[in-house]
Amino acid sequence: MTTLLLIKQMLLTIYGKYEVYITPLLKFVLAFITLFLLNSRLGYMEALNRMTLVLIVALMCSFMPINFIVVMGALFSILHLYSFSMECAAVIGAGFLLLFLLYLRFSPKDTLVVVLLPICFLMRIPYVIPISMGLIGGPASAVSVACGVIVYYLLHYVTKNETVIASMAEEETAAKFKFIIDGLLKNKEMVVVIAAFAITVIIVYLLRRLSVDYAWTIAMIAGAVVNIMVLLVGDLIFDTNQSLLSIILGTIVSFLIVLVLQFFVFYVDYSRTEKVQFEDDEYYYYVKAVPKVTVTRPEKKVKQINSKRR
Amino acid sequence: MLNEERVVLMTKMASYEANEGRKNLDIGSYFRNDYIGWQVLKSIISATIAFVVVFAMYIFYDFEIFMTDIYKMDLLEFAKNVLFWYLATVGIYAVIAYAVYTVRYSRAKKSLRTYYMNLHRLAAMYKKSSPDSRQ
Repeated sequence: MTTLLLIKQMLLTIYGKYEVYITPLLKFVLAFITLFLLNSRLGYMEALNRMTLVLIVALMCSFMPINFIVVMGALFSILHLYSFSMECAAVIGAGFLLLFLLYLRFSPKDTLVVVLLPICFLMRIPYVIPISMGLIGGPASAVSVACGVIVYYLLHYVTKNETVIASMAEEETAAKFKFIIDGLLKNKEMVVVIAAFAITVIIVYLLRRLSVDYAWTIAMIAGAVVNIMVLLVGDLIFDTNQSLLSIILGTIVSFLIVLVLQFFVFYVDYSRTEKVQFEDDEYYYYVKAVPKVTVTRPEKKVKQINSKRR
Repeated sequence: MLNEERVVLMTKMASYEANEGRKNLDIGSYFRNDYIGWQVLKSIISATIAFVVVFAMYIFYDFEIFMTDIYKMDLLEFAKNVLFWYLATVGIYAVIAYAVYTVRYSRAKKSLRTYYMNLHRLAAMYKKSSPDSRQ
Protein backbone atom coordinates (compact mmCIF):
# COMPACT_ATOMS: atom_id res chain seq x y z
CA MET A 1 0.00 0.00 0.00
CA THR A 2 2.86 2.32 0.82
CA THR A 3 4.25 1.83 -2.67
CA LEU A 4 0.88 2.70 -4.17
CA LEU A 5 0.67 5.79 -2.01
CA LEU A 6 4.15 6.76 -3.08
CA ILE A 7 3.19 6.31 -6.71
CA LYS A 8 0.09 8.45 -6.13
CA GLN A 9 2.18 11.13 -4.49
CA MET A 10 4.64 10.99 -7.34
CA LEU A 11 1.90 11.23 -9.97
CA LEU A 12 0.39 14.20 -8.20
CA THR A 13 3.76 15.91 -8.03
CA ILE A 14 4.41 15.25 -11.69
CA TYR A 15 0.97 16.54 -12.59
CA GLY A 16 1.47 19.64 -10.49
CA LYS A 17 4.83 20.27 -12.03
CA TYR A 18 3.91 19.73 -15.68
CA GLU A 19 0.23 20.66 -15.54
CA VAL A 20 0.69 23.10 -18.39
CA TYR A 21 1.63 20.25 -20.72
CA ILE A 22 -0.39 17.38 -19.24
CA THR A 23 -3.83 19.05 -19.39
CA PRO A 24 -3.63 19.82 -23.13
CA LEU A 25 -2.23 16.34 -23.73
CA LEU A 26 -5.18 14.74 -21.93
CA LYS A 27 -7.59 16.94 -23.86
CA PHE A 28 -5.87 15.91 -27.08
CA VAL A 29 -6.15 12.21 -26.22
CA LEU A 30 -9.82 12.55 -25.27
CA ALA A 31 -10.64 14.49 -28.43
CA PHE A 32 -8.73 12.01 -30.55
CA ILE A 33 -10.50 9.00 -29.01
CA THR A 34 -13.89 10.70 -29.38
CA LEU A 35 -13.41 11.62 -33.03
CA PHE A 36 -11.76 8.32 -33.87
CA LEU A 37 -14.64 6.33 -32.38
CA LEU A 38 -17.18 8.54 -34.16
CA ASN A 39 -15.39 7.96 -37.44
CA SER A 40 -15.14 4.23 -36.93
CA ARG A 41 -18.79 3.86 -35.87
CA LEU A 42 -20.47 6.35 -38.19
CA GLY A 43 -17.83 7.17 -40.80
CA TYR A 44 -20.24 7.95 -43.65
CA MET A 45 -18.49 11.10 -44.77
CA GLU A 46 -15.22 10.20 -46.43
CA ALA A 47 -13.70 13.64 -46.00
CA LEU A 48 -13.93 13.43 -42.21
CA ASN A 49 -12.35 9.99 -42.02
CA ARG A 50 -8.90 11.21 -42.86
CA MET A 51 -6.48 10.75 -40.02
CA THR A 52 -4.81 14.08 -40.66
CA LEU A 53 -8.10 15.91 -40.17
CA VAL A 54 -8.79 14.03 -36.94
CA LEU A 55 -5.33 14.89 -35.67
CA ILE A 56 -5.66 18.55 -36.58
CA VAL A 57 -9.06 18.87 -34.90
CA ALA A 58 -7.81 16.99 -31.82
CA LEU A 59 -4.85 19.34 -31.67
CA MET A 60 -7.22 22.29 -31.84
CA CYS A 61 -9.25 20.81 -29.00
CA SER A 62 -6.12 20.49 -26.88
CA PHE A 63 -5.76 24.20 -26.40
CA MET A 64 -9.43 25.19 -26.53
CA PRO A 65 -11.77 24.96 -23.52
CA ILE A 66 -12.81 21.40 -22.82
CA ASN A 67 -16.38 21.98 -24.03
CA PHE A 68 -14.98 22.44 -27.50
CA ILE A 69 -14.56 18.65 -27.67
CA VAL A 70 -18.32 18.31 -27.15
CA VAL A 71 -19.04 20.80 -29.92
CA MET A 72 -16.63 19.09 -32.31
CA GLY A 73 -18.05 15.66 -31.49
CA ALA A 74 -21.57 16.90 -32.20
CA LEU A 75 -20.44 18.54 -35.44
CA PHE A 76 -18.65 15.39 -36.63
CA SER A 77 -21.62 13.17 -35.92
CA ILE A 78 -24.08 15.50 -37.63
CA LEU A 79 -21.87 15.79 -40.72
CA HIS A 80 -21.46 12.01 -40.90
CA LEU A 81 -25.19 11.51 -40.56
CA TYR A 82 -25.85 14.19 -43.14
CA SER A 83 -23.99 12.26 -45.80
CA PHE A 84 -25.81 9.08 -44.73
CA SER A 85 -29.31 10.49 -44.66
CA MET A 86 -30.52 14.02 -44.33
CA GLU A 87 -33.43 13.02 -42.11
CA CYS A 88 -31.12 11.35 -39.60
CA ALA A 89 -28.96 14.44 -39.44
CA ALA A 90 -32.04 16.62 -38.91
CA VAL A 91 -33.43 14.48 -36.09
CA ILE A 92 -30.13 13.95 -34.30
CA GLY A 93 -29.17 17.58 -34.84
CA ALA A 94 -32.48 18.66 -33.31
CA GLY A 95 -31.82 16.30 -30.38
CA PHE A 96 -28.37 17.79 -29.78
CA LEU A 97 -29.74 21.30 -30.10
CA LEU A 98 -32.41 20.59 -27.50
CA LEU A 99 -29.86 19.14 -25.08
CA PHE A 100 -27.65 22.14 -25.55
CA LEU A 101 -30.39 24.75 -25.27
CA LEU A 102 -32.25 23.25 -22.37
CA TYR A 103 -29.63 21.72 -20.17
CA LEU A 104 -25.98 22.07 -21.07
CA ARG A 105 -26.30 25.85 -20.88
CA PHE A 106 -26.72 25.47 -17.14
CA SER A 107 -23.92 23.14 -16.26
CA PRO A 108 -20.71 23.77 -18.14
CA LYS A 109 -18.85 21.71 -15.52
CA ASP A 110 -20.56 18.45 -16.29
CA THR A 111 -20.55 18.74 -20.06
CA LEU A 112 -17.70 16.30 -20.36
CA VAL A 113 -19.98 13.49 -19.18
CA VAL A 114 -21.86 13.77 -22.47
CA VAL A 115 -18.67 12.75 -24.28
CA LEU A 116 -17.32 10.28 -21.73
CA LEU A 117 -20.52 8.31 -21.32
CA PRO A 118 -20.88 7.22 -24.98
CA ILE A 119 -17.17 6.26 -24.98
CA CYS A 120 -17.68 4.18 -21.84
CA PHE A 121 -20.75 2.60 -23.44
CA LEU A 122 -18.62 1.45 -26.35
CA MET A 123 -16.10 0.01 -23.89
CA ARG A 124 -19.04 -1.75 -22.14
CA ILE A 125 -18.39 -0.04 -18.83
CA PRO A 126 -20.94 2.80 -18.82
CA TYR A 127 -21.59 2.17 -15.12
CA VAL A 128 -18.35 3.95 -14.23
CA ILE A 129 -19.89 7.30 -15.01
CA PRO A 130 -23.01 7.35 -12.79
CA ILE A 131 -21.09 5.99 -9.80
CA SER A 132 -18.20 8.40 -10.16
CA MET A 133 -20.48 11.36 -10.86
CA GLY A 134 -22.33 10.52 -7.66
CA LEU A 135 -18.99 10.56 -5.86
CA ILE A 136 -17.49 13.73 -7.27
CA GLY A 137 -20.56 15.57 -8.54
CA GLY A 138 -23.89 16.60 -7.12
CA PRO A 139 -27.47 15.45 -7.57
CA ALA A 140 -27.77 17.65 -10.68
CA SER A 141 -25.19 15.40 -12.34
CA ALA A 142 -28.04 12.91 -12.78
CA VAL A 143 -29.36 15.14 -15.57
CA SER A 144 -25.95 15.33 -17.25
CA VAL A 145 -25.66 11.57 -17.10
CA ALA A 146 -29.14 11.29 -18.61
CA CYS A 147 -28.03 13.61 -21.44
CA GLY A 148 -25.02 11.37 -22.07
CA VAL A 149 -27.25 8.30 -22.24
CA ILE A 150 -29.56 10.07 -24.71
CA VAL A 151 -26.62 11.03 -26.94
CA TYR A 152 -25.35 7.46 -26.97
CA TYR A 153 -28.73 5.97 -27.79
CA LEU A 154 -29.42 8.58 -30.50
CA LEU A 155 -26.26 7.56 -32.33
CA HIS A 156 -26.58 3.89 -31.46
CA TYR A 157 -30.08 3.72 -32.92
CA VAL A 158 -28.87 5.03 -36.27
CA THR A 159 -25.94 2.61 -36.50
CA LYS A 160 -28.16 -0.30 -35.45
CA ASN A 161 -30.82 0.43 -38.04
CA GLU A 162 -28.42 1.50 -40.73
CA THR A 163 -29.62 -1.04 -43.28
CA VAL A 164 -33.31 -0.34 -42.70
CA ILE A 165 -32.87 3.40 -43.09
CA ALA A 166 -30.64 2.97 -46.12
CA SER A 167 -33.13 0.65 -47.80
CA MET A 168 -35.92 3.22 -47.59
CA ALA A 169 -36.30 5.04 -50.87
CA GLU A 170 -35.06 8.58 -51.28
CA GLU A 171 -38.52 10.06 -51.69
CA GLU A 172 -39.85 8.53 -48.50
CA THR A 173 -38.68 11.45 -46.44
CA ALA A 174 -41.73 11.54 -44.21
CA ALA A 175 -41.62 7.80 -43.57
CA LYS A 176 -37.92 7.92 -42.72
CA PHE A 177 -38.52 10.80 -40.39
CA LYS A 178 -41.27 8.93 -38.64
CA PHE A 179 -39.23 5.76 -38.40
CA ILE A 180 -36.29 7.56 -36.77
CA ILE A 181 -38.35 9.59 -34.31
CA ASP A 182 -40.44 6.55 -33.39
CA GLY A 183 -37.34 4.54 -32.76
CA LEU A 184 -35.91 7.20 -30.51
CA LEU A 185 -38.99 8.03 -28.51
CA LYS A 186 -40.10 4.46 -28.03
CA ASN A 187 -36.69 3.22 -27.03
CA LYS A 188 -37.53 1.54 -23.74
CA GLU A 189 -33.97 0.43 -23.15
CA MET A 190 -32.88 4.06 -23.14
CA VAL A 191 -35.56 4.97 -20.61
CA VAL A 192 -34.57 2.11 -18.33
CA VAL A 193 -30.89 3.01 -18.52
CA ILE A 194 -31.63 6.69 -17.84
CA ALA A 195 -33.72 5.77 -14.82
CA ALA A 196 -31.07 3.35 -13.52
CA PHE A 197 -28.23 5.82 -13.93
CA ALA A 198 -30.14 8.75 -12.45
CA ILE A 199 -31.13 6.72 -9.40
CA THR A 200 -27.54 5.49 -9.05
CA VAL A 201 -26.12 9.02 -9.14
CA ILE A 202 -28.54 10.24 -6.50
CA ILE A 203 -28.10 7.25 -4.18
CA VAL A 204 -24.30 7.38 -4.42
CA TYR A 205 -24.39 11.11 -3.75
CA LEU A 206 -26.67 10.79 -0.72
CA LEU A 207 -24.70 7.93 0.81
CA ARG A 208 -21.22 9.34 0.33
CA ARG A 209 -22.21 12.50 2.17
CA LEU A 210 -23.19 10.54 5.26
CA SER A 211 -20.98 11.04 8.26
CA VAL A 212 -20.38 7.32 8.79
CA ASP A 213 -17.08 5.53 8.39
CA TYR A 214 -16.37 4.20 4.90
CA ALA A 215 -19.19 6.32 3.47
CA TRP A 216 -17.57 6.39 0.03
CA THR A 217 -17.12 2.64 -0.16
CA ILE A 218 -20.66 2.05 1.07
CA ALA A 219 -21.94 4.52 -1.51
CA MET A 220 -20.04 2.81 -4.31
CA ILE A 221 -21.24 -0.66 -3.42
CA ALA A 222 -24.82 0.52 -2.94
CA GLY A 223 -24.66 2.40 -6.24
CA ALA A 224 -23.41 -0.65 -8.12
CA VAL A 225 -26.07 -2.91 -6.58
CA VAL A 226 -28.90 -0.43 -7.18
CA ASN A 227 -27.74 0.03 -10.75
CA ILE A 228 -27.89 -3.70 -11.44
CA MET A 229 -31.25 -4.02 -9.68
CA VAL A 230 -32.92 -1.20 -11.59
CA LEU A 231 -31.58 -2.45 -14.91
CA LEU A 232 -32.85 -5.96 -14.18
CA VAL A 233 -36.25 -4.79 -12.97
CA GLY A 234 -36.50 -2.58 -16.06
CA ASP A 235 -35.59 -5.58 -18.17
CA LEU A 236 -38.37 -7.62 -16.55
CA ILE A 237 -41.03 -4.95 -16.94
CA PHE A 238 -40.17 -3.59 -20.38
CA ASP A 239 -38.45 -6.61 -21.92
CA THR A 240 -35.40 -4.68 -22.97
CA ASN A 241 -33.34 -7.84 -23.54
CA GLN A 242 -30.20 -6.68 -21.83
CA SER A 243 -27.64 -9.33 -21.19
CA LEU A 244 -27.40 -10.08 -17.48
CA LEU A 245 -23.81 -11.19 -17.76
CA SER A 246 -22.64 -8.01 -19.45
CA ILE A 247 -24.46 -5.89 -16.87
CA ILE A 248 -22.85 -7.69 -13.95
CA LEU A 249 -19.40 -7.94 -15.49
CA GLY A 250 -19.54 -4.31 -16.63
CA THR A 251 -20.56 -3.22 -13.15
CA ILE A 252 -17.74 -5.17 -11.51
CA VAL A 253 -15.13 -3.68 -13.85
CA SER A 254 -16.66 -0.24 -13.37
CA PHE A 255 -16.52 -0.71 -9.62
CA LEU A 256 -12.81 -1.50 -9.80
CA ILE A 257 -12.19 1.62 -11.88
CA VAL A 258 -14.12 3.73 -9.39
CA LEU A 259 -11.99 2.22 -6.60
CA VAL A 260 -8.95 3.71 -8.33
CA LEU A 261 -10.75 7.04 -8.51
CA GLN A 262 -11.54 6.83 -4.81
CA PHE A 263 -7.90 6.11 -4.06
CA PHE A 264 -6.94 9.35 -5.75
CA VAL A 265 -9.74 11.59 -4.55
CA PHE A 266 -10.78 10.32 -1.16
CA TYR A 267 -8.34 8.08 0.62
CA VAL A 268 -8.62 8.51 4.37
CA ASP A 269 -7.66 6.65 7.49
CA TYR A 270 -10.79 5.98 9.52
CA SER A 271 -8.82 4.42 12.37
CA ARG A 272 -7.41 7.84 13.24
CA THR A 273 -10.76 9.63 13.20
CA GLU A 274 -10.99 12.39 15.76
CA LYS A 275 -14.19 13.69 17.24
CA VAL A 276 -13.98 17.09 18.83
CA GLN A 277 -16.46 19.50 20.32
CA PHE A 278 -16.07 23.16 20.88
CA GLU A 279 -18.09 26.32 20.96
CA ASP A 280 -17.88 29.94 20.06
CA ASP A 281 -20.25 32.82 20.76
CA GLU A 282 -22.84 31.66 18.26
CA TYR A 283 -22.50 27.92 17.73
CA TYR A 284 -21.66 24.56 19.18
CA TYR A 285 -19.47 22.53 16.88
CA TYR A 286 -19.50 18.74 16.74
CA VAL A 287 -16.61 18.05 14.44
CA LYS A 288 -15.53 14.73 13.02
CA ALA A 289 -12.14 14.96 11.40
CA VAL A 290 -10.88 12.08 9.31
CA PRO A 291 -7.22 12.36 8.36
CA LYS A 292 -6.13 11.75 4.80
CA VAL A 293 -3.56 9.05 4.29
CA THR A 294 -0.35 10.54 3.06
CA VAL A 295 3.19 9.37 3.00
CA THR A 296 6.25 11.48 2.83
CA ARG A 297 8.58 10.60 0.07
CA PRO A 298 11.81 9.14 1.42
CA GLU A 299 14.45 11.68 0.76
CA LYS A 300 17.46 10.53 -1.10
CA LYS A 301 20.59 11.17 0.83
CA VAL A 302 23.71 11.66 -1.14
CA LYS A 303 26.72 10.79 0.85
CA GLN A 304 29.92 12.22 -0.39
CA ILE A 305 32.58 9.60 -0.16
CA ASN A 306 35.53 11.23 -1.75
CA SER A 307 36.59 14.21 0.20
CA LYS A 308 36.79 17.45 -1.66
CA ARG A 309 40.23 18.44 -2.72
CA ARG A 310 41.32 21.75 -1.55
CA MET B 1 11.70 42.62 2.69
CA LEU B 2 9.57 39.69 1.57
CA ASN B 3 6.41 39.44 3.62
CA GLU B 4 5.51 35.78 3.59
CA GLU B 5 1.94 36.19 4.75
CA ARG B 6 1.33 38.78 2.07
CA VAL B 7 2.78 36.59 -0.65
CA VAL B 8 0.62 33.66 0.41
CA LEU B 9 -2.49 35.84 0.40
CA MET B 10 -1.63 37.34 -2.96
CA THR B 11 -0.99 33.93 -4.49
CA LYS B 12 -4.30 32.64 -3.19
CA MET B 13 -6.13 35.64 -4.57
CA ALA B 14 -4.40 35.44 -7.92
CA SER B 15 -5.34 31.79 -8.22
CA TYR B 16 -8.93 32.69 -7.32
CA GLU B 17 -9.01 35.41 -9.94
CA ALA B 18 -7.64 33.07 -12.56
CA ASN B 19 -9.99 30.18 -11.92
CA GLU B 20 -13.29 30.23 -10.10
CA GLY B 21 -13.15 33.93 -9.40
CA ARG B 22 -13.16 35.03 -13.01
CA LYS B 23 -16.74 33.99 -13.45
CA ASN B 24 -17.73 35.34 -10.05
CA LEU B 25 -16.13 38.70 -10.76
CA ASP B 26 -18.08 38.78 -13.97
CA ILE B 27 -21.32 38.00 -12.14
CA GLY B 28 -20.45 40.48 -9.41
CA SER B 29 -20.25 43.32 -11.89
CA TYR B 30 -24.02 43.12 -12.40
CA PHE B 31 -26.76 44.21 -10.06
CA ARG B 32 -28.76 41.27 -8.79
CA ASN B 33 -31.89 41.91 -10.82
CA ASP B 34 -29.94 42.84 -13.93
CA TYR B 35 -27.97 39.62 -13.81
CA ILE B 36 -30.92 37.35 -13.12
CA GLY B 37 -33.13 39.20 -15.59
CA TRP B 38 -30.55 38.93 -18.35
CA GLN B 39 -29.97 35.24 -17.72
CA VAL B 40 -33.70 34.50 -17.58
CA LEU B 41 -34.15 36.41 -20.84
CA LYS B 42 -31.45 34.28 -22.45
CA SER B 43 -33.16 31.18 -21.10
CA ILE B 44 -36.49 32.30 -22.54
CA ILE B 45 -34.85 32.75 -25.93
CA SER B 46 -33.32 29.27 -25.79
CA ALA B 47 -36.61 27.79 -24.63
CA THR B 48 -38.33 29.49 -27.58
CA ILE B 49 -35.82 28.04 -30.03
CA ALA B 50 -36.18 24.63 -28.39
CA PHE B 51 -39.96 24.88 -28.67
CA VAL B 52 -39.73 25.79 -32.34
CA VAL B 53 -37.47 22.79 -32.95
CA VAL B 54 -39.84 20.41 -31.16
CA PHE B 55 -42.84 21.91 -32.92
CA ALA B 56 -41.17 21.52 -36.31
CA MET B 57 -40.39 17.88 -35.50
CA TYR B 58 -43.98 17.35 -34.44
CA ILE B 59 -45.28 18.74 -37.72
CA PHE B 60 -42.79 16.79 -39.83
CA TYR B 61 -43.52 13.60 -37.96
CA ASP B 62 -46.94 13.28 -39.51
CA PHE B 63 -46.48 15.71 -42.32
CA GLU B 64 -48.85 14.09 -44.80
CA ILE B 65 -51.65 13.64 -42.30
CA PHE B 66 -51.10 17.18 -41.10
CA MET B 67 -51.32 18.57 -44.61
CA THR B 68 -54.56 16.74 -45.33
CA ASP B 69 -56.03 17.70 -41.97
CA ILE B 70 -55.06 21.34 -42.10
CA TYR B 71 -58.10 22.21 -44.22
CA LYS B 72 -60.48 20.44 -41.92
CA MET B 73 -59.27 21.48 -38.50
CA ASP B 74 -60.13 24.47 -36.44
CA LEU B 75 -57.03 26.58 -36.92
CA LEU B 76 -57.85 28.97 -34.12
CA GLU B 77 -58.18 26.11 -31.68
CA PHE B 78 -54.92 24.62 -32.92
CA ALA B 79 -53.12 27.95 -32.53
CA LYS B 80 -54.52 28.32 -29.02
CA ASN B 81 -53.29 24.88 -28.16
CA VAL B 82 -49.81 25.60 -29.51
CA LEU B 83 -49.70 28.90 -27.66
CA PHE B 84 -50.68 27.19 -24.43
CA TRP B 85 -47.89 24.64 -24.76
CA TYR B 86 -45.43 27.34 -25.72
CA LEU B 87 -46.26 29.45 -22.68
CA ALA B 88 -46.20 26.42 -20.41
CA THR B 89 -42.75 25.34 -21.69
CA VAL B 90 -41.25 28.80 -21.51
CA GLY B 91 -42.87 29.53 -18.16
CA ILE B 92 -41.60 26.38 -16.46
CA TYR B 93 -38.17 26.79 -17.98
CA ALA B 94 -37.96 30.43 -16.93
CA VAL B 95 -38.89 29.54 -13.36
CA ILE B 96 -36.15 26.89 -13.26
CA ALA B 97 -33.66 29.35 -14.77
CA TYR B 98 -34.67 31.99 -12.23
CA ALA B 99 -34.06 29.58 -9.35
CA VAL B 100 -30.71 28.40 -10.73
CA TYR B 101 -29.39 31.89 -11.39
CA THR B 102 -30.61 33.29 -8.08
CA VAL B 103 -28.62 30.63 -6.28
CA ARG B 104 -25.62 31.22 -8.53
CA TYR B 105 -25.71 34.97 -7.95
CA SER B 106 -25.87 34.69 -4.19
CA ARG B 107 -23.07 32.12 -4.19
CA ALA B 108 -20.88 34.31 -6.36
CA LYS B 109 -21.55 37.31 -4.14
CA LYS B 110 -20.68 35.34 -1.04
CA SER B 111 -17.42 34.13 -2.48
CA LEU B 112 -16.61 37.63 -3.75
CA ARG B 113 -17.17 38.99 -0.24
CA THR B 114 -14.36 36.77 0.99
CA TYR B 115 -12.25 37.94 -1.90
CA TYR B 116 -12.84 41.61 -1.14
CA MET B 117 -12.16 40.98 2.54
CA ASN B 118 -8.81 39.52 1.57
CA LEU B 119 -8.20 42.55 -0.63
CA HIS B 120 -8.75 44.79 2.38
CA ARG B 121 -6.44 42.66 4.45
CA LEU B 122 -3.80 42.95 1.79
CA ALA B 123 -4.23 46.70 1.63
CA ALA B 124 -3.92 46.86 5.40
CA MET B 125 -0.72 44.83 5.23
CA TYR B 126 0.72 47.19 2.68
CA LYS B 127 -0.24 50.18 4.78
CA LYS B 128 1.40 48.68 7.80
CA SER B 129 4.58 47.85 5.98
CA SER B 130 4.83 51.00 3.86
CA PRO B 131 6.66 53.21 6.44
CA ASP B 132 9.26 50.45 6.76
CA SER B 133 9.74 50.13 3.06
CA ARG B 134 10.29 53.83 2.64
CA GLN B 135 13.01 53.89 5.17
